[in-house]
Parts: sequence; structure tokens; C-alpha cells
Amino acid sequence: MNNILSENILEINSLNKRYKNIHAVKDISFSLEQGDVFAFLGPNGAGKTTTLRMLLDIIRPDSGTIKWNLKGNVSSVPPSENIGYLPEERGLYTDVPIINSLVYMAAIRGMDQAIAKKAAMEWLEKFELANRAKEKLQALSKGNQQKIQFIASIIHKPAFAILDEPFSGLDPINQEKFIDYIRDLNLQGTTILLSSHQMPLVEKIAKKVFLINQGQKLFCGTLSELYKDFEKRQILNISFNSNVNEERLRLLPEVENINWVNPMEVKITFKVGVNLNNALSELIKMDSINNISSHNPDLHDIFLNLVKNHKL
Amino acid sequence: MKYLKQVLTVTLWEYRRFFKPKNELIGIAVMIVVFFLAYLIGKYAASAEEEKTRLTISKTLDAQLTSLLSQEFELSKISENQKDNFIKQISENREGVLLWNDDAGFVLYSYKKPDALKKLNKILNKYNQTRAMEAIKLSPENLQYILKPVSITEKYFEETSGRRVLVYFFAGLMILAVVLSFAYQFTSITGEKQLKITEQIISAIKPQVWMDGKILGITLTGLSSLVTYSIISILGGLLFFQFTDVPLNYIFQILHAPSIIIFLLFALMSILMWNSLLAAIASVITDPNNSSKSSLMLLPVLFVVITLVISPQNKLAVFLSWFPLTSATAMPMRWVVGNVDLWQLAGSFILLTATFYLLRKLAAKIFRVSILMSGKEPTWSEIIKLAKEA
Repeated sequence: MNNILSENILEINSLNKRYKNIHAVKDISFSLEQGDVFAFLGPNGAGKTTTLRMLLDIIRPDSGTIKWNLKGNVSSVPPSENIGYLPEERGLYTDVPIINSLVYMAAIRGMDQAIAKKAAMEWLEKFELANRAKEKLQALSKGNQQKIQFIASIIHKPAFAILDEPFSGLDPINQEKFIDYIRDLNLQGTTILLSSHQMPLVEKIAKKVFLINQGQKLFCGTLSELYKDFEKRQILNISFNSNVNEERLRLLPEVENINWVNPMEVKITFKVGVNLNNALSELIKMDSINNISSHNPDLHDIFLNLVKNHKL
Repeated sequence: MKYLKQVLTVTLWEYRRFFKPKNELIGIAVMIVVFFLAYLIGKYAASAEEEKTRLTISKTLDAQLTSLLSQEFELSKISENQKDNFIKQISENREGVLLWNDDAGFVLYSYKKPDALKKLNKILNKYNQTRAMEAIKLSPENLQYILKPVSITEKYFEETSGRRVLVYFFAGLMILAVVLSFAYQFTSITGEKQLKITEQIISAIKPQVWMDGKILGITLTGLSSLVTYSIISILGGLLFFQFTDVPLNYIFQILHAPSIIIFLLFALMSILMWNSLLAAIASVITDPNNSSKSSLMLLPVLFVVITLVISPQNKLAVFLSWFPLTSATAMPMRWVVGNVDLWQLAGSFILLTATFYLLRKLAAKIFRVSILMSGKEPTWSEIIKLAKEA
């Protein structure tokens, strides 16, 4: 049983993609095991969507290999019936009843239409939208349209789901609901690869993360490994009575990174192994300090630090 | 097998999405109302034409001419001294038509060119002709004898006039099917691009499957609409035979089974070929309202019309009968009118089929590269370059 669970169902080696003068993806390698919830994180234009599109054979890599091993089928192109995809740029047919769109999306992935209809109704029940199954998509709110889009991507119970920005456009309540749905999907056996900007949400469900910036890998591993790498760094949350001159903070030699919470509050990450006494005495000299508190780094902090310190 | 199942799924989806029997029935009802209104307007116009136009002439006009004019015009007569005053009134009141004759000939006074000028010319010419015949002492019987046309009895080994009608009929059907498909293809492909559905679809099926399903589904939609219009045409035709002297069995003389099979095969393949080309064009259009490439969608009509107006027996017609964009109308026309061997028919059809096969492949390639260029319409050179790479 353990052997099956630890089997790599996706292996990517030295993937490269160029667009004219832009090297969008540089030598990326990673692998996913069955049952993973793998978060693919990076700022805008980092190469996330390009990588996801290459995984799905929507665009072809310039070099490198992609090996899928889904339900015993080894191939460089994923079998569509085992893949679910929620693209970042999304849309569905607005001029046909919702239930018809969902059944069609499942049918093109090889699902029997009668079974697809039953599955669609079950998902609509779960999202409290069953009574609107025969309405057209344009009649729904943006949040509800997002739910329908999500159902369309996983209705056929895929072995592997790629969710590109699944939380965008959702209110906090629905974001939490989506986390539960993704968790349920994963518990039912679907391996998840998700890309998102909402770090607190990713932190709640991801088991592994891949950080990418300007097409290059910054980190790949489990969340606990990432935190362990960062726990040696100390982070202070400092609030001021008035606006602060960033230059004065940057002059402190112990400072690795400064992230602004608001114009009067900063999070300062200090370099590994430095003594904070000197830095603290310098900070206290700034007469406008209101409060100083110690802070454990979260995914958001780590992400910002890694991206800001990334040297090409 | 998976390919066929997926193509069938996409085909039926496109067909059900665009072919709406209810809308077709509404279309038929609207067409019947339009026909009925056109009939009423035509009838009113005909009755209006029966009303005689008022014409003023000289009291001294020749009696024979006055008699001829009175058959078509409501005449009133004025004397020489009333003439200037009457012309002045025409200018002031902007109405009235005066025909005056002097030594040089006839003069017509009217504020604007009168509608009945053609009718008036005809009467004056007839009058003039009669006067000339009298001058040279030529009897009407002798004139008839001179103008009598030569007698030719036509005997053909093969009667083709009916088949010519069939060629025009199938060309008409083709234009209709392609024009109908044009609208659906635009809505379907550019609509999906604008709604951003394509990326999700392409993650599930190959662009070729998607494109083949679309081409077949939209062709089927166009053909279904065609059947609707054909039924209306047949009903209209039956009414035509009901109210004219043309015998109903004339239609059965036109129906030549081998021609129908050949024309139908050419027409179907041509519709598929044009739909593939339209799909390729639609694939590179992001916004149909702001794209110069939209005008290319009118190409089919141009090509069909070219073949219909060119004489089927000249050298250009031979080229057009092999050229895939025009062969579906040019080759049947040549076959009906001239001597075309069977191998030529088969060769032209194979070329047309091969063009359809390649165009659907090209359409899928273009689609694959153009969907990822969101927000920007690719130029032709970009399309060629990317399609080669795909």
C-alpha cells in the first residue's frame, strides 16, 4: 500500500520554454506523488501558467521531459479522462443551461452522460445550486459562476486536478468552503496541483510547495522543510506613530528584508545568525516606535523574502 | 474509437447549441408573412400602374396619334395660345406633362422626368413606324414577312437544360449552407474565445478533435436549416405550378438521378471544405467587430458567383473546375454543358476532398496557436510561423 502511495505520478525534468527574448521557464524539475496537494507559487509572470500549460500539452516545451504515470498509463501527455483543469482564464457557455454545460464538460473527458448528469446534480447540491441547474450561467453571480467552473473541472472524478488560482474572485466565506472541497477531493484520491497567490489559504491545504520566480526554482519541498529553512531567521513586527523613512531601516546591516504591512507598520526579516542587540538599540533610537513584537515567519513572509532576495 | 466518440460529442453539442427547431419555425413564419406582404405590395403596385397618367397635348395633334395615346394616357387638349401659360404652370405647380409637336419633332415638358416616359416613347415610335411604312407604301403584312425569324427545329441526343437548372439549384443550396454556417462558425469559435472556454476544452480534447467536431456540427446545422428552407421552396414551387400554366411533370423531367448524386456529393464536400476554411479564419479573429479578417468570411459567395457567371466552355472554366474553391459548381456545370470524362469528375472530387482534409488540419493548427495569444490578434506572418512550429 505504501509503495502505491509513494509512487510518482508526475515527473518533470529540466523543463525549458522561451518566448522570443523571454526565458519563461528555466530548467524546472519536480515530481508529485499520488495523494499530494502540491502548491505551485510565484509572483505574476513567474512562469506558473506556462508550466501548467506544458504539463497539459497545451503548449510544448523547448526542452525537458514530462512523464505522467496515471492509473498505469505512462505517457508525456496526460489522458484527459484522468485530468481535471481549472484554468486561470476561465469561462463557460453563458447561453446554455448550467447542467448541459457540466454534462458536456464531463462527456468530452469520456464520462457517460447519464452518470455525468447525476454527478453534476450532486455537486450542485453540495454548492447549494441544484435549484438553478436549468438556468443559464449568465444568471448567476460571479462567485456562483466560479463554483460552476470548479465543478466543470473536477466533475469526472479525475486522478489528478490542476487548479490555477482556484480562490480568485471568491469572498472569504467561499474561499474557506473551497478549501474544504479541495480537501475532500484530495481525500477521495485526487492528487492536487494548485497555483495561487493567496498564501494563507495555500498554507491550510498544501503538503508540498514549489516556489518559482522569473522562471527559476526558488524552493521545492514540504511546507515543514520550508519553515525549517526559515526558522533560523528572526522576524520583527514594528509599528510606528508616524510614517517611517525606509532608508534608515535599510542602513541597519542585520536587516535582510523589509515588508510593509501599512505605511506605519513593517515586518523586518533579519539575516541568519545575527545578534539583534545592535539592531534593536538602533531601532529604539527612532523615537516614533510604538510597538515591537516577535513573529514566526508564515508562507507569505517566506514567499516575499525568497522572491526579493532572488538573484538571477 | 476515442477520437470518433469525442468528435461525435462535440458535433452533437454544436448542433444542439445552434439548431433550434423553435427558431426555425419562427423563421418560416416570418418568411411566410414577408412573402404575403410582398404579394400584397406587388398587387397594389400593379393596380396603381393600371391608373392612366395624365398627359396634355395640342388640340391640333394628329388624330391617329391621339387615338394611340388615349389607350395609355388620360388626355387633355390645349390650344396654341394656351401653351406658354401651361408650361409656366408646370414650373410653378411642379406637376403636369405636356407633349407638343412642331416641325422638328416632339417636345416633352415636365417638371421632372416622368415615370411614363418609356410608355410614351413606345407609342411615339410605333406611330412613327406606321407613318414611315405609309410613306414607302409598305403593308403591315409585308413588314411581318420581312421580320419573320428563321425556323430551326432543335434535336439533341441528350437534353441538358433541366440539368442546368439542377446545377444552379445546388449552387444556390451551397451558397445558402455556407452563408448560414458562416454566422454559426463566427459565433461558435470567436464566442468561445471571448468567453475563454477554449483553454479548458483543449485540456480535455485535442485541437483536431475540437475542430472536426465544430466543422461537422456546424455543417449539420447549416444542412438542417437548408432542409427547412428546401421544404418552404417545395411548397412555394407547388403553389407556383398551381397558379401557372407550367405542367407539374416539368419538375420530374429535371430530376436526373446521376446528376443529383454527383452534384450532391460535390456540394456536401464543398460545404465541408468551406466550413474548414471559415473555421481557420474564425480561429485567428479575436473580436469580429474589430477585425479586418472578418471580410474574408465572404469569400465563398465570391467564388460560387465567379463560376456561375463564367461560360462553362472556356479555358478558365476548365481551371475553375479543378480549383478546389470553385470546383463544386464549375465541374458539374462543365459536365452538363460539355464533354467531361468520368476521370475528370473523380479527379476534381478527390482534389476537393484532399483540400478539405488539409484545411481541417490547418484550421486545428491555427486554432492551437491562436488561442494562447489572448488579447492580441495574430498577424498572418505570425500565424504561418506558429502553425509550422505546431
